Amino acid sequence: MSYTLQFGQVWPHVPFLLAGALLSLQIAFLAFCGGLLIGTLGAAGKSFGGPTLRRGIDAYVVFFTNTPQLVQIYFLYFALPDAGILLSSYAAVLIGMTLNAGAYLTEIQRAGFESVRQTEMEAAETLGFSRAQQIRYVILPHVARVLFPPLSNQYILMTLGTSMAAIFGVEELTGRAFNLNSQTFRSIEVFSVTALLYIVITFFATAILAVMGRVLFRARMRII
Amino acid sequence: MIQRLIEEAPAFFGYYNLVFLGQAMLATLALSAVGSLAGLAAGLALALVRLPNGPLWWPLQATAILFTELFRRVPFLVTLMLVFFAFQLSGFNLPLFAVACIAVFLIATAYLGEIIRAGFDSVHRNQWDAAAAMNFSLLQTVRYVILPQAWRIILPPAFGFFVLFIKDTALASQIGVIELTYAGKVLNNKGFSAALVFGTMLVLYFIISYPLTRLGARLEQRLAKSRHR
Repeated sequence: MSYTLQFGQVWPHVPFLLAGALLSLQIAFLAFCGGLLIGTLGAAGKSFGGPTLRRGIDAYVVFFTNTPQLVQIYFLYFALPDAGILLSSYAAVLIGMTLNAGAYLTEIQRAGFESVRQTEMEAAETLGFSRAQQIRYVILPHVARVLFPPLSNQYILMTLGTSMAAIFGVEELTGRAFNLNSQTFRSIEVFSVTALLYIVITFFATAILAVMGRVLFRARMRII
Repeated sequence: MIQRLIEEAPAFFGYYNLVFLGQAMLATLALSAVGSLAGLAAGLALALVRLPNGPLWWPLQATAILFTELFRRVPFLVTLMLVFFAFQLSGFNLPLFAVACIAVFLIATAYLGEIIRAGFDSVHRNQWDAAAAMNFSLLQTVRYVILPQAWRIILPPAFGFFVLFIKDTALASQIGVIELTYAGKVLNNKGFSAALVFGTMLVLYFIISYPLTRLGARLEQRLAKSRHR
């Protein structure tokens, strides 16, 4: 036990790490948007589609939620070149995360769609709402309020999940921490500062999302 | 590509490779089981610490809150690296498997502690008051009144997180623990094609995870039914 912590060598590199954090946020955001699109289509397909479509979506969701994201990206990155599809590490991570997020978000959104009760729709019909009005004034406000908390939760989890990209050499926050570690050999210091940055980032993200949820959708969310 | 897979398959599924994969699968299971079960116990302790009132408990409670809030906001990979380097520098010569177990344990404690606390919160205030009126001590209250009602709330999400941890242990391959993903990398380095190796890995993880997911879903349904009596 003769190790002294020396943060002096790490602090000057914080801007370098922060630039990596920006890439982390970018990957998380893009993957989340892609996943949201897949999830919306998937949930709509499961609610309104025929049996074949539903079974297909089920297979997709079950496969991606029951295998590790890391191995999925390994497969995309190392196995697809055999078939002639060469992905950059960034693209492989982004596609892997998007497909993975799509599976989880399909499940979340399906639960949200199901939370709209039949009586609510009947009430809207009784009031003489057109189909578009029903969607605009009844379904969307309800679904947004129910879905916002689990969706923002998933977004935070995905921001943490982007650290996986480091394994494939993407220069996001953890990737830059690996780099810095091999330059300075101040492992503990580098990784504790990295952990601190993740804590700060997700803390702000949670607070912003909670305020958004409360103001826009009147969702019940803890701000801190 | 398909041609190559068919040519390689007999060699890939040879006796020694199968034994190797079996051992790796056991390591993955053991890693998540040890980490999660220890995490369940420690998470219960964290949730218990937050119950009593009184200034004597505040430092402990602040530590518990800080622990859960911080470890839930750090990616597993970073926690793993921190634990790995901390043990390396402190001079303890722990096997890598134990290091990975400790990392899983830390994360599991933070997440499960929060799940258990939410379960405690879900029990109605009157139940606590009634137990206090019967002069139950805090531990007696939890043991005889709260846990019998709260475990139905706690179990389904805890089970969900257990399945999540199994998949997260794939990251332990990064510090060199010989579990399923690491085994895949070794076999890939031996020259087997990536499609075959990682395809098999995906199937093996699926075999571990899918029955547990189904079990969790059934558990949730049964417990939800009994809650609405």
